[in-house]
Amino acid sequence: MQRLNRDAIIAIILLAFCGVFFWASFDIRQPDYGVLMPSTWPRVILGVMTFLSVLYLIQSLSLGQEEIEDDQYDAEHTRKPGFRGWLEHWRNPLWCFFLFFLYLLTLPVLGMLIGGITFVYVLLGMLGGWDGNKPVVHGVIAICAIGVMWSVFTFGLGVLLPPGMILGRF
Amino acid sequence: MVLENVMAASAEIATIKTLSLMMIGVAGGLIAGAIPGFTIAMAVVLTLPFTFGMPPSQGLATMVSVLVGGLSGGLMAGILTGIPGTPSSVATTFDGFPMARKGEPGLALGLGVWSSFFGGIISAILLMTLAPQLARIGLEFNPWDYFMLVMFALTITASLSGKNMIKGLIAGAMGLLMRTVGEDEAVGMGRFDFGIDPLLSGFDFIAVLIGMFAFSQLLNDVRDPKVARKALTDRGGNVKIRIEHMRAIREIAKRWTVLLRSALIGVFTGILPGAGGSIANILAYDQAKKASKHPEKFGTGVPEGIIAPESSNNAVEGGALIILMALGIPGDVTAAVMLGALLIHDIIPSPTFISEEPVLAYSIFIAFFAATFMMVTMQSFMLRVFVLVTKIRMYVLASIILGFCGIGVFALNNVEFDIWTLLWFGILGFVMRHYGFPLAPMILGVVLGNIAELNLARALAITTDLSPFVTRPWSLFFMIIAIFSALFPLFQFHREKKKKWTLFYLPFGCFAASIPLYMMGGVPRPILATLVVAFGAYQLWQRARGGWQVEASG
Repeated sequence: MQRLNRDAIIAIILLAFCGVFFWASFDIRQPDYGVLMPSTWPRVILGVMTFLSVLYLIQSLSLGQEEIEDDQYDAEHTRKPGFRGWLEHWRNPLWCFFLFFLYLLTLPVLGMLIGGITFVYVLLGMLGGWDGNKPVVHGVIAICAIGVMWSVFTFGLGVLLPPGMILGRF
Repeated sequence: MVLENVMAASAEIATIKTLSLMMIGVAGGLIAGAIPGFTIAMAVVLTLPFTFGMPPSQGLATMVSVLVGGLSGGLMAGILTGIPGTPSSVATTFDGFPMARKGEPGLALGLGVWSSFFGGIISAILLMTLAPQLARIGLEFNPWDYFMLVMFALTITASLSGKNMIKGLIAGAMGLLMRTVGEDEAVGMGRFDFGIDPLLSGFDFIAVLIGMFAFSQLLNDVRDPKVARKALTDRGGNVKIRIEHMRAIREIAKRWTVLLRSALIGVFTGILPGAGGSIANILAYDQAKKASKHPEKFGTGVPEGIIAPESSNNAVEGGALIILMALGIPGDVTAAVMLGALLIHDIIPSPTFISEEPVLAYSIFIAFFAATFMMVTMQSFMLRVFVLVTKIRMYVLASIILGFCGIGVFALNNVEFDIWTLLWFGILGFVMRHYGFPLAPMILGVVLGNIAELNLARALAITTDLSPFVTRPWSLFFMIIAIFSALFPLFQFHREKKKKWTLFYLPFGCFAASIPLYMMGGVPRPILATLVVAFGAYQLWQRARGGWQVEASG
């Protein structure tokens, strides 16, 4: 037996996840009709998933951590210790998550056109840098790409995309 | 009747608007397939939001075109840069790139393009002939059989899609669980909504697909800040290359057995749930090498090394569509997206699909044919576009597509919650990729979850007795092959270690599978069962003759 490794931690998280869903399955209302109760199928899946997670835990504790093929970035870069090192290592995906999250939060205000252009523009800057004429080029790319896409959906496909508070006034 | 359907479907497809959309689709697919880091599934899934406003036949024809284009696009990158555009063109680089470097890029591209074409045509012919026959068999299925078919599809996908079977099965179960969120379809009770109203409607599975495949893939592509700022490839190749069409056709004609065998491998792999082009191209390459009189020349730029993988990877989708259209079970992730496209148009694929919607079904067949022809004519032009696209930097492409994902997902149902679904499943997909959990079983779990539950509910509504799961021949058949496919990774692992029990895996699999075939009655199926038993007995006899020695390979 080894100390807790990454796979064992994932297995424990999965078991906790199954536990939460099992508990939530008791909140499902049971009607007086029907043979297959609404909670039966999810509980069957959760039973199987719990069993598999236990197997995964045993496997990870007895065989050790499974070697995951590192991508080129992982292979070439050693992560610096600490939270800052973690942030630096995952910089780009974290920016994508964070900016997309902000984009969604501000959607009721900015709407899809302004919000989309802002999201793409800031993301381009965060991933590609702000040096030289990049801010201008990125601006043109963001306006053209989202503008064209917005026009295709709004005028071509007749989809009413969220206008937001700003454009909604017009 | 068939001719009438073909004529009606042709009339649906042969409109200027549909053909134009198909050409755009093929062009888009060719480019998406050629860009390393982009997958065909991603291209097809991103096309979906555009098609929801179209008539079903037009929307599906556009998506089929992207699919066919994507299958062939990978060869451009693979041959000219040595970097496979998609996983299904990995084996093409083994001989395509060396041939191009030897000064024959035009021939290498020609062999790739025409092998893709012939592979696609063979696959389309089999799709048109086999799908209706298989659908007739599908009509015999009862809820017990359907439930077991879904379980088999999930098990085999889990066993084929990763090194660790347990992770694959967990991913599949997770997909099934995610599908249970929201009101259940049988009695309409809310499940796992945690007090959040939008969760009562469940997760839109297209948003889940785009999140899991496109969103998480893009995050992966921009992980390395330095690579993200570089052009897609600095080895864009020569724009002035001329594809040598006639010479390529002559070379392929001389090696027609390689083409035919590889296309059949592709179709069979496509029919098998979970096994896609990434497996077919390697398998076909390996078989071509084994069958060659000069296997040592493989890897140096031999035509067979391009013909085999390219004809097989284009044939795969025909196989996957056969299962989708005949039984309503997607053979792979791209077929799952096609299923999503059908569902958007309120069409539920099942064994009755071809008989109830013959024009739509045949328009998919015709679109597959037409797109394959378009692919050949457009390759030369798209080669120039490909070289231009390779100059774009990955972070630019990723940012634009992420922006598009938001708009596209919202457009599906006009629901903002779907974009949140996209984000959360994008993060989940990214984390799963990082920790070695395959995405394909989870996607199939999400797609097939409600089919499994509905059929289980129907089965239990007929009788609460569970014995039909083992007494009904088809159900028993799927259960047996599900068990053997679940044991397959263990078999592979132990075979390397030369464990004795692996000698009995295949023979016993044959004996077990023959039981339900005998139970089906009639004449052809018991004959088939006898052949399967004879094959198993022959395998056993061979092993006995070899002194029960386990060979690590083969």
